[in-house]
Amino acid sequence: MRPAANMKDFRRDLVGLLPKLRRFALTLTRDAKDADDLVQEACERAITRSQLWNGEGRLESWVYAMTRNLWVDEVRKRKVRGGGSMVDIFDQDELSAEPSGERAVYANQLQKMILCMPEGLASAFLLVNVDGYSYREAADILGIPAGTVMSRLSTARLRLAAMLSEDAERRA
Amino acid sequence: MQQTMGLALEIRLSAYIDGELPEAEKSELDALLARDENARALLQTLRAGSAFGNKAFDDFLHDPVPLALVRQIKQGPGITPRFARVATANLPQRNARVWPRLAAASVVLLFLGGASGFILGSTVNTDVPGPEAAERPWVQEIADSHRIYARQKRHLVEVPASQAAEIETWLASSVGVAFNIPDLSPKGLTFEGARLLVANGKPVAQLVYRDRDSNIFAICFQRNGSGEQPDQFSETIRGDLSLVTWQKDKASFVLIGPSSDPALQDIAQTAAAVI
Repeated sequence: MRPAANMKDFRRDLVGLLPKLRRFALTLTRDAKDADDLVQEACERAITRSQLWNGEGRLESWVYAMTRNLWVDEVRKRKVRGGGSMVDIFDQDELSAEPSGERAVYANQLQKMILCMPEGLASAFLLVNVDGYSYREAADILGIPAGTVMSRLSTARLRLAAMLSEDAERRA
Repeated sequence: MQQTMGLALEIRLSAYIDGELPEAEKSELDALLARDENARALLQTLRAGSAFGNKAFDDFLHDPVPLALVRQIKQGPGITPRFARVATANLPQRNARVWPRLAAASVVLLFLGGASGFILGSTVNTDVPGPEAAERPWVQEIADSHRIYARQKRHLVEVPASQAAEIETWLASSVGVAFNIPDLSPKGLTFEGARLLVANGKPVAQLVYRDRDSNIFAICFQRNGSGEQPDQFSETIRGDLSLVTWQKDKASFVLIGPSSDPALQDIAQTAAAVI
């Protein structure tokens, strides 16, 4: 059982992590409501299993991986409910180009553009380029090969560069 | 390190940016970039995409976090057991999409004046204020005052931070509590100034701080009060605000700030040590 003082620190750190965790969840779900549900479930699980957290390394890596696993489970459940029509994005080598993130209604156009990127790109970009994980660490969190992280990251950068150009044209 | 020989140039250059290439491949790409204008342009494009993406993702962090979840995490069993009933009652139902409704309900209640104290959600959270609210009515008054004063742009404080000595003399004599203005800059808080309030029919000193995101924090204190044991810190969440209370000598203190801030107890303990 985790001592009360450590549990208090764990909960404090978890609250501090919420903005980043929600951002990571958004890259997985590409839908704000799904992301909120996912973060909630991940936090419940993190607290329930807090005694498994050894306090070494980055707490966010542990919670990110938990979040990703929960989302994989959710995608599989939906696939079953949908009669197998859904494809597990984490088993895909080829990326779907369908921008399901269109469902999300965001005042911020930039965020909307990010969420419209094909599945898998935003999360790889976030982990490596923004959060500073190595390819190996990002691959462990996402449950995919490091080579896939590498190729997705490259594609994400080119997509983002294209968005930058579109954004500049729109403003001009 | 990744082996990228034979892969598309954009993948190799992307790994080059991330420092994920073996030295031999890095040297090869250095040579390519030195002689090939198209490769340099591609590298530039990838770097532009990185910078653009960084900024876009940074904006995500400014989205509000779900208050119901903050409350659930902070007030779970093991932190403040006497609030367990509130925390337990607030446990969201799994997969129930209540956050948007909670946020909407909170906004409506705020606009109605927030006089009812606890701003709990609509369909799931039907709690009434806990017993601690009745024990410390001045804290509720402080929360109501804070909601009003924290929105003041030009008149946030009565006496500005530049008159720190005057603040200490004025409030100490008005409230009857000798104190020092805590320097909370190591916690990212800038002292803005002070106000004199009235709560529970007694004068209350309010020291106002602002964080880097312009969120307003305040330390309020009055002579005598809650009867809490010294060095005992209790955190209570009132919707968008969180209040950490403690007792020192013959005064009751409360730190008030955004409930989404994970470090309120740390800030309170820092302030309590030097005030």
